[in-house]
Amino acid sequence: MSEFNPRENYFALLAVPQSYEVSQSDLTRRYRELQQGAHPDRFAGGSERERLNAVQYSSQINEAYETLVSPTRRAAYLLKLAGVDSDMSSTTFQDPEFLMQQMQLREELSELQDASDPESALDSFYQDLNAAANQQKSIFSNAYAQQQFDEALASYAKLQFLEKLRSEAELKESELLDY
Amino acid sequence: MLMQISEPGQTPEPHQRKLAVGIDLGTTNSLVATVRNGSAQTLADIDGNHLLPSVVYYGENARIDVGEQALTQASGDPRNTLLSVKRLMGRSYTDVAGEESVIKSPYELLDLGQDMVKVRTRAGDLSPVQVSSEILKSLGQRAEESLGGELTGVVITVPAYFDDAQRQATKDAAKIAGLNVLRLLNEPTAAAVAYGLDQQDEVAIAVFDLGGGTFDVSVLQLTKGVFEVLSTGGDSALGGDDFDHALAQWFVAENKIVSLDMFQQRNLLTAARQAKEALSSEAEVQIGLGDVSLTLSRHQFNDLVDPLIDKAIRACKRALRDAKLRNDDIHNVVMVGGSTRVPRVRERVAEWFGREPLVDLDPDKVVALGAALQADQLVGNRSGDEMLLLDVIPLSLGLETMGGLTEKVIHRNTTIPVAMAQEFTTFKDGQTGMTIHVVQGERELVEDCRSLARFELQGIPPMVAGAARIKVTFQVDADGLLRVRAREESTGSESRIEVKPAYGLSDTDIADMLQQSWASALDDKEARALREQQVEAEALLQALSAAMLKDGEAMLSESEQAELLAKMEALHHEREQGTAASIARHIEIVGKGSEVFAERRMDASINQALAGRRVDEI
Repeated sequence: MSEFNPRENYFALLAVPQSYEVSQSDLTRRYRELQQGAHPDRFAGGSERERLNAVQYSSQINEAYETLVSPTRRAAYLLKLAGVDSDMSSTTFQDPEFLMQQMQLREELSELQDASDPESALDSFYQDLNAAANQQKSIFSNAYAQQQFDEALASYAKLQFLEKLRSEAELKESELLDY
Repeated sequence: MLMQISEPGQTPEPHQRKLAVGIDLGTTNSLVATVRNGSAQTLADIDGNHLLPSVVYYGENARIDVGEQALTQASGDPRNTLLSVKRLMGRSYTDVAGEESVIKSPYELLDLGQDMVKVRTRAGDLSPVQVSSEILKSLGQRAEESLGGELTGVVITVPAYFDDAQRQATKDAAKIAGLNVLRLLNEPTAAAVAYGLDQQDEVAIAVFDLGGGTFDVSVLQLTKGVFEVLSTGGDSALGGDDFDHALAQWFVAENKIVSLDMFQQRNLLTAARQAKEALSSEAEVQIGLGDVSLTLSRHQFNDLVDPLIDKAIRACKRALRDAKLRNDDIHNVVMVGGSTRVPRVRERVAEWFGREPLVDLDPDKVVALGAALQADQLVGNRSGDEMLLLDVIPLSLGLETMGGLTEKVIHRNTTIPVAMAQEFTTFKDGQTGMTIHVVQGERELVEDCRSLARFELQGIPPMVAGAARIKVTFQVDADGLLRVRAREESTGSESRIEVKPAYGLSDTDIADMLQQSWASALDDKEARALREQQVEAEALLQALSAAMLKDGEAMLSESEQAELLAKMEALHHEREQGTAASIARHIEIVGKGSEVFAERRMDASINQALAGRRVDEI
């Protein structure tokens, strides 16, 4: 069985090239292969040590997969690997175009509850949000590949803003659609 | 000469199948199942009943009845007949006080503040964990009798929606029942396993599980043996019992009944349940209590239960959204739980998902069958099998931060096992302790979440504010159970602590309950025989060890010594873990194996006794 190494690189662990562009199907396939051998259920009759190792290793595989499969978390992880501090607490934006887009999206979100068909209004909001996120993802991908980390960091910050907007929208969705 | 005793057919085969079962510990009924000849089947009691009512009766003279026998006491002695205790597992009085079915419970609940609620019976104040352990014990015995041997391990199913405290309580109950838990498995995952839906290409399915007391819905992705739970949701206080209560309330309102005594309450609930079941095939039924009787049509019944089914559908919506799927992405809907027999439930599910749900397997048995398949794999009976169950954590884990707010550390629907570390620091110069409060739930305010553990981290080396780095690791294992470890990192001081949630029982509590359960098992023949053999084995080992120490080297060759020691070792092992029969067998082996040694010691002592004496002195 493989030994748990807390410092293992997630890209190496999941055997995909270290870049922002990853193949989701390769990730998922490799993830399942790894869990097949590492999951604690495979060591149900094993020693205490084996079982502890399995819980840690299997946890790490889950963490690696969830980090790489999420576009935002993958970006943060790449920045961390490049030695870039991605703590956003003091970031301010100098990008008027992005600020404008943010304002429009927020307005769209706040008007949702008054829409005649909130469900389709929500759908179109998510479409706009996805378009904005895709734009930032492609900027991040290019900038990172060319090692322009300042630009990559800026687009990562924007991705985080969009992510926050998404969770606000999901909260609103629960209220609107009576979950 | 050393003799090896080995009766043909008695020696265990090296690759003998291990005995493993799956147990569905339900609110209303429980089941045990195993895999025989490659297929899973539930095990019946001597009367041929597969379902064991989850009822425990505490009678006079420390008599305990479980199942049907207990149920017959329900109307005669309701205070000592405990039904539906699953609802109380791992929960405090405040948690359950608001629930309709709990308010209506005829037995007395004790408010123990933050601690798990207890039930007052003639056998004392009992934790739901102890009561559940009686049910598990009974199923374990049924399995051992039916399979003719000792169980290597069990898989016990829990609602996916169970939080940490409820899972811990279930595991504790198994421990008290003397069962080796291989895994706590979520009920919907077990149901998917039972249907063997892994045969197809990558598809998403939903499991709709409406039992007696809980409702669960899970969305799974299935690909070649991998069962990956995408999301799970539900309502831990919604089930078929609520249908009965809704019916009973209707009856009370229609007849303007002011109050009912305990017996009438129970009788009315029984009548309501019978009416509900009859309406699955009839268009209308009579429901009566004493000399009052009313006619109830299926249409009226549907109106009564629709609000309850609405709650279930809302949970389905939410689970699908969490899985990032729409209802038409769902390839199959698996129906689980006796309450899915209600035609209205099937109608509404078919309507909402836009497809007829799967009902081929008995909805009462499907969970136990899946658990049996998993148990069989976990003990290694199905080598080379690819089945892999990836479950998720049903509720977020978080920490209390400033102002009574929660900060989520592990989000709900994260695949388990999972570990997350969070760093903390001190906010005062020279601060040597801090309190960490772990909660579970989705709400913003700590007071709205379930408090799992509150612990004081002490012995932080005094430093200036902000210099200490305390790393707290949250580890959730494959059973969904949490362990918290904390460590001060900057000085490398390894002050490690482990926390078990406060709602669970402490290890001493479990030890006490184990003791109690052993004590009550003394009457049991097998237990007594076991104890006798253990005592005998111990006496033999002690005597032989003493003799070996004294004369072993002088009287036995090295290989003779090694051989005898190996046999003693085996007996020692058997004494710890074996059955009465296997210990007896090993006692015999050691006895035979030490015959030569005994003879030589005898000879030596005779020689010694004779040495230097004249014949006439003897």
